Amino acid sequence: MKQFHVYQGTQIKDSNTSSKMMYHLVLSLLPIILFAWYQRGIVPYMEERTDIIGLFYPLLFLLLPSLITYLMEVLFHIHHPHPFKDAFFNYGFVIGLFLGLILPFQTPVVILIIASLFSSLIGKLIFGGFGCNIFNPALIGYLFVLMSYGAVMSVDVVSSATPLTNFKNLGGIGNYHNLVEPYGNLWNFFFGTIPGTLGETSGLLCILAYFYLCIKKVIKWKIPLIYVGTVFGMTFLIGGYQNLDIWFPIFQVLSGGLLFGAVFMATDPVTSPTTPIGQILYALFLGILTVFFRFGTSYPEGVMFSILIMNLFVFILDQVGSKSRFNFTHAIIPFFLAWTLILGLGVYFGLNVGKEKTDSNFHIISKEKNQNEFSYIVEQKGYAGNIKARIVIQNYSVSSFEVLEQNESYYKRVEKADYIEKLLENQKHLEQVDTISGATKTSTALKNMLIHTLEDYEKEVHS
Amino acid sequence: MKAGLKLFNNKKLTKNKEIISYKKPKYVYIPLVNQNDTNITPLVKKGDFVKVGSIVGKRKGNLRIPIHSSVSGKVIDFVEKPYLNGQMVKCIQIENDFEETKEKREVKKLHQYTKEEFVHQLKSCGVIGMGGNGFPTYVKYDQDIPLHTLIVNATECEPYITADYVLMMNHIEEILDTMDAIMEINHLDEVILAIKKSNQKLWKMIHNYIGTYLKIKVVFVSDKYGIGWERALVQEAKHVTYDKYPLEKGIVVNNVSTIYAIYQALKYGNALTERIVTFTGEMLKEPQNVVVKVGTPVSEVIESIGGYKRNNDIRFVAGGPMMGHTLPNDELVVSPNLNCVLVLKDWKKVEERPCIRCGKCVSVCPAKLCPVLIKDYQKNKRRLGELKPEKCVECGLCDYICPAGIPLREIIHSVKEGLK
Ligand code: SF4
Ligand code: SF4
Repeated sequence: MKQFHVYQGTQIKDSNTSSKMMYHLVLSLLPIILFAWYQRGIVPYMEERTDIIGLFYPLLFLLLPSLITYLMEVLFHIHHPHPFKDAFFNYGFVIGLFLGLILPFQTPVVILIIASLFSSLIGKLIFGGFGCNIFNPALIGYLFVLMSYGAVMSVDVVSSATPLTNFKNLGGIGNYHNLVEPYGNLWNFFFGTIPGTLGETSGLLCILAYFYLCIKKVIKWKIPLIYVGTVFGMTFLIGGYQNLDIWFPIFQVLSGGLLFGAVFMATDPVTSPTTPIGQILYALFLGILTVFFRFGTSYPEGVMFSILIMNLFVFILDQVGSKSRFNFTHAIIPFFLAWTLILGLGVYFGLNVGKEKTDSNFHIISKEKNQNEFSYIVEQKGYAGNIKARIVIQNYSVSSFEVLEQNESYYKRVEKADYIEKLLENQKHLEQVDTISGATKTSTALKNMLIHTLEDYEKEVHS
Repeated sequence: MKAGLKLFNNKKLTKNKEIISYKKPKYVYIPLVNQNDTNITPLVKKGDFVKVGSIVGKRKGNLRIPIHSSVSGKVIDFVEKPYLNGQMVKCIQIENDFEETKEKREVKKLHQYTKEEFVHQLKSCGVIGMGGNGFPTYVKYDQDIPLHTLIVNATECEPYITADYVLMMNHIEEILDTMDAIMEINHLDEVILAIKKSNQKLWKMIHNYIGTYLKIKVVFVSDKYGIGWERALVQEAKHVTYDKYPLEKGIVVNNVSTIYAIYQALKYGNALTERIVTFTGEMLKEPQNVVVKVGTPVSEVIESIGGYKRNNDIRFVAGGPMMGHTLPNDELVVSPNLNCVLVLKDWKKVEERPCIRCGKCVSVCPAKLCPVLIKDYQKNKRRLGELKPEKCVECGLCDYICPAGIPLREIIHSVKEGLK
């Protein structure tokens, strides 16, 4: 009698396996990695701004966390027959790779290492390993870095302000002149020559990767589309109320790592809903939260937080999603909520954000007009108490900036760096002037003081 | 209709070949089983003489469908043989005397049956669903609810299988005639023949005949696998959804090969004792559609059409690649609901890995289930109540698509059993 093998399940199988999906994912990241290397390693090296270590540093910055998270996974599987293989196919190194891509490039190596360990351990393994974690592991690492080193990271280390921190610092909604122009034009956002983390800068590459991953059926295609769409729609509304053109929603979409987050982080299969309706709701709420973070709080980089928060709700969304497959009425309330929030927040921010243009730390004590010369006495909160200064503006140009009173502990450093001269020299693009490490608060205050005074001046002249 | 999936169908292996027959087995083994129910009373004993179409057993319980002999000859033994689901079932072994003596039944002209006679004829000829489930067909017509629509399922979703296709190519007139007769006998308003959009050759052929049957409507349905399943088909052809069975809404769904069996029953009084089986797969020398008698050992048929390409490293599947079962040997005998014998290369099954929660199983499921969630909440009775695993039609799409190689259909099946 002939003997055949018996198998359960279907006798033909889709060719997409989890390991193939992982290859596709990494492949889609490759152009982004290479571009980051070119920008942060090759170009500086060619321009002789860095040495040979600097040339390869971007790659090390990605490899190191990958290696750590991979090895952690190996340790986790050590009692299995093939720990190395299992760790590999359980996306062990992918976490580290993502971590490297979303952390600020200036993150010190020590912090990078700790964050990787944290991602792997708290983000994934503590939950029972691959497939069981609730939160996106890379984002857990990111959160850790932000929580424990937030102050260090977001101000001092990031040497040049990202478009969104800049957006936040303005206090108001801003305009093309101060949001986009400091970085050239929107094409630079699209191609990715603006400051940002290794992964997030190039919109184009993220969009290409999105198409690739959709064609290869690797990601949940609805999530990025609806997420970005929601942010676009809401900021379009907000911009509309503020008489800002279409560039504003485009600026919002192209900055703050939204595209990278939407394509790669929000679609992490394990931590996003499995049901189609769950995915749609997830994406809508991601958009709402991101807009909320950007306009309603002082965190400019709302994307990663939004994703972490929504991770928590995945199981509820799946519950709604599974029930509404049989009977759509189950999904009506969540959808209603989403639409209300989108419209409500859109209108609310649209009407209100611009209104609080004034920085509450900034006061104009007096201003005198003398033909076309304006002389201001202004005050801005610094590191220790208020800094008082006299600023004279003539024909759109600051002719003198004199600090009258200050109590700052590190004022010496400001003086030593000739910071005020620097500000005056760059008064046409103040956003790009770096702060002084070790005297961040003070230098920021001085800078803002000047920015706010100039704003007031412009208003005066126009009226 | 988003569910379902286009599969590489591989029907070309047998599609354009002539139907051949293998009707002279020395012994037949009539399986005493209907719809996985082996609770069948044998009505013959060793040494009895039976004719083609003699009743040899009857199912117990509510659905007392008879089982017939497919040859004339002598009952010589009761033996166990594997059924298409892999289970061993009791079979009546009958030695063929090659006389083909036929059990006579009264017949009328197709259109002259009354409804009662029609139901009776279907029952006594043992007509059952031949698309795989084996549900007794007469029950569908013997209803208190007024029926208004018949949908004839000619979609043949499963890859590789072409039995229905070749049947239609060869017997379309009989099939259309029977559909027309069923409509008249049961006073139906509408008869729909559902075929796949891409099946242009079939449509061209039907087109030549359909003109005379003004009331028969041909509906083209999506090419996706999963559409052949009743619920999806009714939804697409009629835009009607229902709770448990289409009968609730006055709709009967029959497979085309079942229609042909009805034809044989009405016209000639023939019991369901033969059918077309697709013998196919890369590992057969000569894939063919073969007319075979119920109870014929499948290995004999395979031998007669040229045999296997090689004798080991093959997979032997009873049924299509999606719904079928692999069997450990080729002892299988033909049953009325066996539509295909598929012989494939042996394979290394995708290694089972942790679920990555990609959601693919959810998006393909034609029953709108969430297989991944059913898997997660296996132990949670309350949640299972919402997830309705009992709606699974075991189409296997979730298994097919799962990148982690998780045997989802199996899991859902056992959850379903556990809930009963
Ligand atoms: S298809 Fe498989 S891996 Fe994907 S969610 Fe379903 S069970 Fe999990
Ligand atoms: S759950 Fe059942 S009906 Fe749905 S795809 Fe899987 S086998 Fe088919």
